[in-house]
Amino acid sequence: MNFWDIIAIQPMTNILIVLTDFLFNNFGLAIILLTLVVNGALLPLTLKQTRASKAMQDLQPKMTELQKKYAKDKQKLAQEQMRLYKESGINPAGCLLPLLIQMPIWIALFQSIMRVLAVIPENLVGLSPYLYSWPSVYSALPLNNHFLWLNLASGDMFLALLVGGTTWVQQKMVMAPTVDPAQKTQSSLMLWMMPILFAFLTLSFPSGLALYWITSNLFRIGAQYFIGGWGGLVKTAPKKPTGRDKKYKERIAEVEKPAQETDIVVPGSAQEEGLSDEESGGKRPDRGGGYPKSIRAVKRQPRRGGSHRRKRG
Amino acid sequence: MRIGNKALTVGKLSLLVVLLLVMLAAFGCIGIRSSPEGGSGGAIADGTLFLCPALKQAGGFGCSAPVVEGALVAVDVSDGSRLWEAALEGEMSSGGGFGCSASTVPVAIYGSPVVVGELVYVGGYNGKIYAINASSGVLRWVYPRQGSLQPIVGGMVAALDSLYFGCADGGVYALDAETGDWLWEFATGGKIWATPTINGETLYIGSFDHNLYAIDAVTGQLEWEFETGGAIGSTPLVYNDTVYIGSFDRSFYALDAADGSLQWEFEAEKWFWTRAVAYNGTVYVGCFDGNVYALDAESGEEITRFELGSPVYSWPVLVDSRIIVATEEGEIYVIDTADNQAELLADLEETVYAPLCASEGIIYIYSQGQNLYAINAESGARLWSLPIN
Repeated sequence: MNFWDIIAIQPMTNILIVLTDFLFNNFGLAIILLTLVVNGALLPLTLKQTRASKAMQDLQPKMTELQKKYAKDKQKLAQEQMRLYKESGINPAGCLLPLLIQMPIWIALFQSIMRVLAVIPENLVGLSPYLYSWPSVYSALPLNNHFLWLNLASGDMFLALLVGGTTWVQQKMVMAPTVDPAQKTQSSLMLWMMPILFAFLTLSFPSGLALYWITSNLFRIGAQYFIGGWGGLVKTAPKKPTGRDKKYKERIAEVEKPAQETDIVVPGSAQEEGLSDEESGGKRPDRGGGYPKSIRAVKRQPRRGGSHRRKRG
Repeated sequence: MRIGNKALTVGKLSLLVVLLLVMLAAFGCIGIRSSPEGGSGGAIADGTLFLCPALKQAGGFGCSAPVVEGALVAVDVSDGSRLWEAALEGEMSSGGGFGCSASTVPVAIYGSPVVVGELVYVGGYNGKIYAINASSGVLRWVYPRQGSLQPIVGGMVAALDSLYFGCADGGVYALDAETGDWLWEFATGGKIWATPTINGETLYIGSFDHNLYAIDAVTGQLEWEFETGGAIGSTPLVYNDTVYIGSFDRSFYALDAADGSLQWEFEAEKWFWTRAVAYNGTVYVGCFDGNVYALDAESGEEITRFELGSPVYSWPVLVDSRIIVATEEGEIYVIDTADNQAELLADLEETVYAPLCASEGIIYIYSQGQNLYAINAESGARLWSLPIN
């Protein structure tokens, strides 16, 4: 066994077997329960990723605006985009990092399910080195592969459709509405490609894995609903945002607020030098024109600590 | 750091997820086969060794389809030349899933062939029993004639003009050895992957339902059953009116052959899968923990243990007073029962799962590397080897 097996596969494999023994030798329930537990443990990361994705979606109109404006200057575009992210309080890696952290755990769960199924003699023999010396582990094996109407060791068409369906719903919920035809095509492609690919994979692999995928998808659908309602799935008002959502929205609203409002601070040195917004952009060394007013203006935030709060009037 | 907007769109992110999951799916297949390979031990009669080689896996994405079908091979033991080969055809398949489609079901054979008179019997993972002429390789009969049973993983025993085997459907079957006609069937509560043992008119077989069954071989009626703490995949040994059986609960049991009462129990560190060998009041049994235990047949007391460093899956053989054991890693050890000393006889450096067989001081070992080796049991010299695939 290698390091990965010892730290990831072996613990998850044994937990899966013990859960099965605990759940009346029902491997299907054990898969569902362990998937929920793992997803629950990863919920903070999932929520962080979902919120970050949503915040980026909310920023999309401004991004499009920047893309149009700096279509011919890629370097400048990148700089302005990064500046926008920074001012909006969004970390672009916020979407990616939680995903990358979660991936090894999902892979471990996936491989453990495959390993524990041990349908053929070679796999059952190969399972032996992974077992802890827990009595219930030895008494439970080999596991019963039947769950409801399913043989968890072989593919199932109905589950494949469910995997495809739940993947589509999940995709649709996070998909940002866009007017850009190129992005629209790309989004549409992804919306259908993923469910179809997953459905095919489900047919090829033991349906125990399909149970894992469906449970994970339903969990993430729930998490996404919690963050932003049904999103792109239905055209209704989103669910009331949570405190953290509000914080993101406030940040975004701040950058979108027109510069004419009171209590405005303009980033950079424009105000300090007594220049107007247009002048400020014009005097920039790169002569990029500065931000559009709606992006550039940032409302000063009252500080929570209170000690530096400026009294009005 | 320059991060373009496109790379951060949801679409791109989704693509990343897909790619990672595809990698995950492919990664998940590593080391985990989706189709059986098989590979049996040998059976020797009249200078001919009969063997069913392992299927060669093609590998691939999401599936590993065998590129050869199962076969029964007859080998001349004097020089390792191949006499004939009988293809064991499966039934037409409706095709596999993503990227996997097969025109026939491969016939993986795990249980060693059984030779009785003119016929060689093999049981396939495709749920069929084949009776093949030992001289010509021509199929005599197949059971069932229509359709198939669940996978047959264990081997068979032939006695009382009958053929006995267990099936993954939990059934123990008795067939007429000459015609292949069904005689009786006994249902257990779990899959059967073990090979039965017969002693007199009693058939002993273990099941995944944790029980060892003693069944009347003539009528198919239950004589007694004994429940262990785990599934049973090993073959019982009957020695001095005692049945010895290892279980997945890491225990090795000695039971009274007449009524199934427990005489003693020995606990190891991992599963028992192989059949034990007894000689001169001592029972030798290999374990997944890499040890071969020498136990007093009467009391179960551990006399000694041989730490071989690798799990023991294949059945050992007794050659004169020496016990030959193969580890998974292909090391062949000889245990001298006179002084209970073990020494390395040969190192094949190939995985060995198949039961060993021996005849006239020569051991025949089939490796998962698809080679058949003939090794002198005394000197360890390799007499010949034959690639069989």
